[in-house]
Amino acid sequence: MPSLAETQALAETRAATRRFGQFTAVSAVDLAVRPGEVLGLLGANGAGKTTLIRLLLGLLPPSDGAIRLFGEPPSIETRRRVGYVPQTLGLYAGLTVAENWEFTAAAFRNRRAPLPEAISAWKKELVGSLPLGAQRQVAFAVALSHQPELLVLDEPTSGVGPLGSARLWEGIRRAATAGAGALVTTHNMEEAEQCDRLMIMVDGKVVAAGTAADITDGLLVAEVRTAQWSRAFTLLDESSFPVQLHGTMLRVGSQPAAVSGLLSHAGISATVESVPANLEEAFVAIVARPAGA
Amino acid sequence: MKWGLQDVDAARGRDLVLTGVTVPVDPSRVTVVVGGDGAGKSTCLEVLVGLLTVRSGTVLRPSKERIGYVPATAGLYADLTVQENLDFSAKAYGLSGRDYRQQADRLLEQTGLGPARRRLGGQLSGGMQRKLAVGMALLHAPDLLVLDEPTTGVDPVSRAELWRLISGAAAAGTAVAVSTTYVNEAARAAVVVLLEAGKVAASGSPTQILNGVPGVLGVMDGAERPAGLAWRRGVTWRVWNPAGTLPEGARPAVPDFEDAVVAATLASEHREQGR
Amino acid sequence: MWAMISKEFRELRRDRRTVAMMIILPIVLLVVFGYAANFKVSDIPVVVVGPSASQAASLLPEPTFRVAEVDPAAGQTTAQARLRDGKAVVAVVTGGGAPLILMDGSQLFSVQTAEAALGRMAQSSGVSPRVEILYNKDLSTSWVMVPGLAGLILVFIGTLITSLGVVRERQAGTLEQLAVMPFRAWDVIVGKIAPYLIVAALDLVVIVVIGMGVFHVPFAGNAGTFALGSALFLLVTLGMGVLVSTVSQNQGQAIQLAFMLVLPQVLLSGLIFPISSMAIGVRWISYVLPLTYFIEISRGVMLKAMPITDLWEPIGLLAVLAVAVLGLAVFRFRRDLAPGSRKDRAAVPAQELVAS
Repeated sequence: MPSLAETQALAETRAATRRFGQFTAVSAVDLAVRPGEVLGLLGANGAGKTTLIRLLLGLLPPSDGAIRLFGEPPSIETRRRVGYVPQTLGLYAGLTVAENWEFTAAAFRNRRAPLPEAISAWKKELVGSLPLGAQRQVAFAVALSHQPELLVLDEPTSGVGPLGSARLWEGIRRAATAGAGALVTTHNMEEAEQCDRLMIMVDGKVVAAGTAADITDGLLVAEVRTAQWSRAFTLLDESSFPVQLHGTMLRVGSQPAAVSGLLSHAGISATVESVPANLEEAFVAIVARPAGA
Repeated sequence: MKWGLQDVDAARGRDLVLTGVTVPVDPSRVTVVVGGDGAGKSTCLEVLVGLLTVRSGTVLRPSKERIGYVPATAGLYADLTVQENLDFSAKAYGLSGRDYRQQADRLLEQTGLGPARRRLGGQLSGGMQRKLAVGMALLHAPDLLVLDEPTTGVDPVSRAELWRLISGAAAAGTAVAVSTTYVNEAARAAVVVLLEAGKVAASGSPTQILNGVPGVLGVMDGAERPAGLAWRRGVTWRVWNPAGTLPEGARPAVPDFEDAVVAATLASEHREQGR
Repeated sequence: MWAMISKEFRELRRDRRTVAMMIILPIVLLVVFGYAANFKVSDIPVVVVGPSASQAASLLPEPTFRVAEVDPAAGQTTAQARLRDGKAVVAVVTGGGAPLILMDGSQLFSVQTAEAALGRMAQSSGVSPRVEILYNKDLSTSWVMVPGLAGLILVFIGTLITSLGVVRERQAGTLEQLAVMPFRAWDVIVGKIAPYLIVAALDLVVIVVIGMGVFHVPFAGNAGTFALGSALFLLVTLGMGVLVSTVSQNQGQAIQLAFMLVLPQVLLSGLIFPISSMAIGVRWISYVLPLTYFIEISRGVMLKAMPITDLWEPIGLLAVLAVAVLGLAVFRFRRDLAPGSRKDRAAVPAQELVAS
């Protein structure tokens, strides 16, 4: 049986709730990030992801429930063991890479840390003049400079494209393999699929959790192939079916029978088949469910 | 091709930013230009709409009144209401009263912005701003719709809605060109153009690009980076040998579209470095 | 904490505009308050007419009074004309008993200096001449300030606020979009500038009306001349505003640059400190500032009823400046709006064929 220390979560919330006056931003959320794992947080804007992260980091106290960071309530001391990269990177565009590194090192009282190999090529470059992929690499390296045990990354690979994203994820995986845990918020489905586990939030509540496979399990969409695809699309769209165009093929997040019915009624001949939903379609379907469903 | 770029070289100042780039954009089809930051996606689209002149090659586009363009920094006026923004667009394109009102109402309904008519542009969420901007560009039923990274940073639900708008435009006959960094959006296109450092790394339908991956693809475990061409996917590594066999310990895998894109980008990078 | 301080210094060092402001601002203020800010005029041009002209001229203490012209044959009419032209600030009319001293009240501080000097003269020589102050009988400060303020408003709206308005478009990313819409570059330029032009013109009218109503500042001259001078000046300041916007990426930068252009005009154009009291080495700065010429026109028309023919110099200069500044501004702005070819006007698909 694994010892308590091994299974202890790096960051944990139990029934965490946060209200702002009448508005409940986060409602009874259970979350745990364990060493070596990457947890992805998905949700529309306003779903409560940012508030949840603030609760976790101790920047906001919870209205109800418990927050634990490395086993204790969050504090300045425990925050030191967290590496945080906000969406805006948290770097000073007007300073060089080396100067940014020095600043963070000094802030975390870690002056001796040498600049990592991976970003040393850009040592004297102004951060603002680097391309986005390089900036993200630097931001990530700076966040790791004090060997944090928990990483909190807000949209870490937004805007860098598939190869750049894979490279950044190499760094995240390396940190996880070395024992750190990571909490990643993202809008990007490819990025979500890089995570070990996912949590989907809507209106402050967790509506789905598990691996990407768990979440898409059992969800199907109707794939429509027809020569009159543009008529079919327009018809389905105007009848409020959630339809997406893929090349000249349609994917509709509804029962195939309903789709077939509508199309044949309009005299459009088409093949309609049930296929597994992808993560984005699953997300849209889950989020669109009425509350409590 | 009806519209688009044909073998275009383009420069900003003294730097050559596009080399020999062809991007076909046809009516009723969505062409997606995909690539990382700095690959030249925005430049392609700027060339397409005439914001940047080319050094060589041909650019085909309709006249200004038949183009709808949304730059990467969602072009709408933060200090005007949703309705005022639409009014401005209508006047700019010379839309008259009745045509305009019908179109505007339909667009507001499609984008779900109806209840937000009187809200200031700056008060809308990112996703809603993008939808408004795309709506403004579609108001005058253009022949060519050009959207520069319309979905970067937008939440998945708004992203799906934006793509419904985009698909709807294509279904109505518009030629659509979209740039993106998201591979799964490129998978939806009729034509994909993958850019890397200003050059075309791969081009064609998603199926063509998928089938165009030479060699063998495999999956490996382990914390250490495998030798050769490899990249991270979740907890495993993807390894690729364009000409030859897989390294030891790798299990063969069927490439998906994302693999094809990463492989093509890597191949292009290597060609560059090999120079 | 030291990390914060050194980081802030490093960032500051690279922010060129702020550094420039931090260096230029103290220098400008030093120059102004050291050499220019002076209410005592040391050089007052005088014209002396009448039969005992030469004698009177020799009595005037130098260097305070500089005798510009001595004309025994001329009389009071000529003397007054010189004052109106601005060629002299003090006129001594001799003949027929005690001399009559006329002073140009629109040159407030020169007149005060002259009065003091004449007072001392009267005490020592016992001669008490008659003094008549023209154009601003009560030496009222507001009469002199209001025409200047009119210019200040035009500078603010024209340069500062216009630049903000145009930069805002650039910041929001809508400028690119305008370039792709079926607008001609000219439509966009005029469309951006017109509201500020109208607002500035309205503000101008308001200031003048309030000046006249509340402070009883006269409007002795031709409204048309005033309007012409104002329009030309406004075009200059608007041009400067657009120019500032073409070299600024955001509103912060625009404010800094506009401020650096507006401040010297406020201090050195004769609005507050008289130009004639500035050290010669510094006075040349006033002569390159557009506001200086506008103030000449506004004070000239409102207080002295100067006809347009006498104001041809400042008006002409403003006209030239307007063409130059606005021309440059439009040229640069156009480049932002229409970098591509102008061949896309056909309704038929246009091919842009460019040979390498």
